[in-house]
Amino acid sequence: MGRTAPFHFESAPELPGADHVSKYLFGGIRNLASRLWHFEIEGRDNVPEHGPAIIAPNHLSFCDSVFVPAALPRRVWAIGKGEYMDSWKTKHLFPAMGMIPVDRSGGDAAQAALDTAASVLDSGHLFMVYPEGTRSRSGHLHKGRTGAARLALRCDAPIIPVGHVGTLEVQPPDTFTMRVRKPVTVRFGAPMWIHEYGDPQDPRTLRRFTDAVMFEVAQLSEQKYVDRYASKDDTPAAVSVANVDGTSNAKGVDRAEHVRITPRRPSVVGSSAPSAPSRPAKISRPTGRPSELSADGPVETSTPPSMPLRESAKHHPRRSRAEAVRTTKE
Amino acid sequence: MDGGHMNLARVIDGHAADSPAFVDGGRTVGYGELRARVAEMRSALADRGVGVGSSVAIASGNDGAMVVSLLAVLSLGGVVMPLNPTSPTPELTRKLDVAEPMMLLVGNAGRLYLDDDQISVEMVDLVELDAAASAAAGADAVVVSVDRPADAVAFHLATSGVSGAAKVAMLSHENLSFVHEAMKQCEPSIHSGDVLLGVLPFTHIFGLNAVLLAALEAGACVVLQQRFDAEESLQLVRQYGVTILSGAPPMWHRWANSDAPDDSLQTVQRAASGAAALPLGVFERVRERFGVEIGQGYGLTETSPVVTLARGAAIKPSSVGQVLPGVEVALVDESGEPVDVGDEGEIVVRGPGVFLGYLRDTEATESILSGDGWLWTGDVGIFDEDGYLFLVDRIKDIVIVSGFNVYPAEVETALMGCAGVSGAIVTGTADEETGEAVVAHVSGTATREQLEAHVATQLSRYKRPTRYHFHEDLPIAPNGKAIRRALR
Repeated sequence: MGRTAPFHFESAPELPGADHVSKYLFGGIRNLASRLWHFEIEGRDNVPEHGPAIIAPNHLSFCDSVFVPAALPRRVWAIGKGEYMDSWKTKHLFPAMGMIPVDRSGGDAAQAALDTAASVLDSGHLFMVYPEGTRSRSGHLHKGRTGAARLALRCDAPIIPVGHVGTLEVQPPDTFTMRVRKPVTVRFGAPMWIHEYGDPQDPRTLRRFTDAVMFEVAQLSEQKYVDRYASKDDTPAAVSVANVDGTSNAKGVDRAEHVRITPRRPSVVGSSAPSAPSRPAKISRPTGRPSELSADGPVETSTPPSMPLRESAKHHPRRSRAEAVRTTKE
Repeated sequence: MDGGHMNLARVIDGHAADSPAFVDGGRTVGYGELRARVAEMRSALADRGVGVGSSVAIASGNDGAMVVSLLAVLSLGGVVMPLNPTSPTPELTRKLDVAEPMMLLVGNAGRLYLDDDQISVEMVDLVELDAAASAAAGADAVVVSVDRPADAVAFHLATSGVSGAAKVAMLSHENLSFVHEAMKQCEPSIHSGDVLLGVLPFTHIFGLNAVLLAALEAGACVVLQQRFDAEESLQLVRQYGVTILSGAPPMWHRWANSDAPDDSLQTVQRAASGAAALPLGVFERVRERFGVEIGQGYGLTETSPVVTLARGAAIKPSSVGQVLPGVEVALVDESGEPVDVGDEGEIVVRGPGVFLGYLRDTEATESILSGDGWLWTGDVGIFDEDGYLFLVDRIKDIVIVSGFNVYPAEVETALMGCAGVSGAIVTGTADEETGEAVVAHVSGTATREQLEAHVATQLSRYKRPTRYHFHEDLPIAPNGKAIRRALR
């Protein structure tokens, strides 16, 4: 798709970016995307022409927030930090791209963000959220947060799984500039409805649905899936660019657009559970139980003393999850 | 408790002599008579050398002789090892070999053992012993139970255990007693006017502590049923006005589908299920037929057993309830970090109900119990926002397909929903392309094509079985748990 695909700049006077400046700014960005990059869009028909839907892409690069909106046939909104409105560089551009600023200083920022997202969907618009919660540093697709599923349930909206390829090469981590003439492909999957995944009042359904969405994203993005949340501590992906040397040359870019919509409270119940929402300490592991995983794979465990054991005393170590991880498309 | 000392046998003290303690074969026995029989049995066992620290195995069904003898052993400061009286001899002897009890009391249901020369432990005919104690018993007696440290071992319970192999769990007086006290804080608790059906085997911690000992402690009455028979259970419920009915899922299934009248459970105020996941269909059928909502609980032998239970608040049918007061539960990842509410994690438990360890098996103990008292259960669960726990599966049964977790229980439930399927067990196998692949073991008349068409409407692509094996019978334990390791 070399030329700009048809697009509807839908009217939403109640939301940011409804003005003419935004309209032309966004139109310009869409034009640039198709001229400056080898921009391919697949499965665009999967995005409903009308009504609410949650756009759920993988997240590799800051510029995902440019390419995914540019690939859609309709406008899309997303939550962004309120601080962006303080900078002259972003205060016009980001709302034009559909960013709704949310103040994170309040008590329950995640709830405020969720409410804002719900109001977008309830008005019949598209809302975009990265289910991984943050950018993947490892290059793999990470476990999805359940916020998108909660929104889907609350607003009776489908989730459109989205997978894109190439944005990491366009804008590698810690860079501010975007490299032109690289190939970027954005793929949209078929709409998914939470009600097809079980009793919506059962917390297992949220997780089941989220995992199903991530599976579809993995198929579309051709990424390997790893069943743990993306973390800033993950080992960076090997990207063939000159300036990836671990130093940041663009302050602020890393802490980009992440306003969470999934409430986070530790699963601890009982007398020693802290009343404050601080995270309790780690639970100690049994000494006789091998620890199989670190962030990047199996950890070496000390060999248990070689003493003769009865059959009943033998370990049944759990399989290492990392061992079983394979790419979804090889 | 007395300055850190106690004795579980004292659960029968203080209740009115004429208040019914249990019903055995149509005969009601009051607390006075029970105490008198325990006192006589106690003397008889003391004469045979049972004393503080003695380990005594009892192979008996749920009858009066078993209740009396286990209380007598505890009262003497001994350790009770209840054993299934219908186990094949090799299984029985394996357990006896681990615990090495000084004697085996053989009840009516285990009489065949008496002539079995493969059993090397000294055997005593419990029927004779109990008959003598009953004949000598007066209307009431004071049972002088020896003081034991709260953490002294009271029971040796054979368990398949968290890691699958047969082991013997050591449970203290305090472990079991704590659960009685904590359950009292959950409304509705057991009261002296309650009548419980004692059909869950007392050789298992659920029947032993959450039914028998909890009922005696509260001064309630237990209607003993030796062998499960659905029609007979419901007859007993009607006849004795049972108010608290606890069963394992297969029992509930058969009660729900019995020919008994629809008003059979009209006296039942609380219905409980444990030991395995209760199928939603059974919950709904029981509610529809009998007007009773079954509250599920969760626990292990190693936790005496109650960790969560339906605490009187609104029952959520698919949940195993809320955490027992005084117990700490966390859901954690592999490193021990608590996961967020709404995420699945391994259930870890700490509290006074957590057992002392496995008998003569330090390594097994250290593989599930941390130094500061956290028991790693090997079960995966999710909390909802209201603190209700939902079970997902056993952690070691998880099949990992292309990095995604597939929980066999979910796939089994989907397969069971297909017409013509009578049983389903799901396991994983190595697969070059996806790491692991989902394998379905199915019994019944459904064909592979029918199963594939059915699961395509129920499961995400990566969860669908890629291999099918058809069986005449599947290994399902009497409590309803699928024995997956038998098919790996």
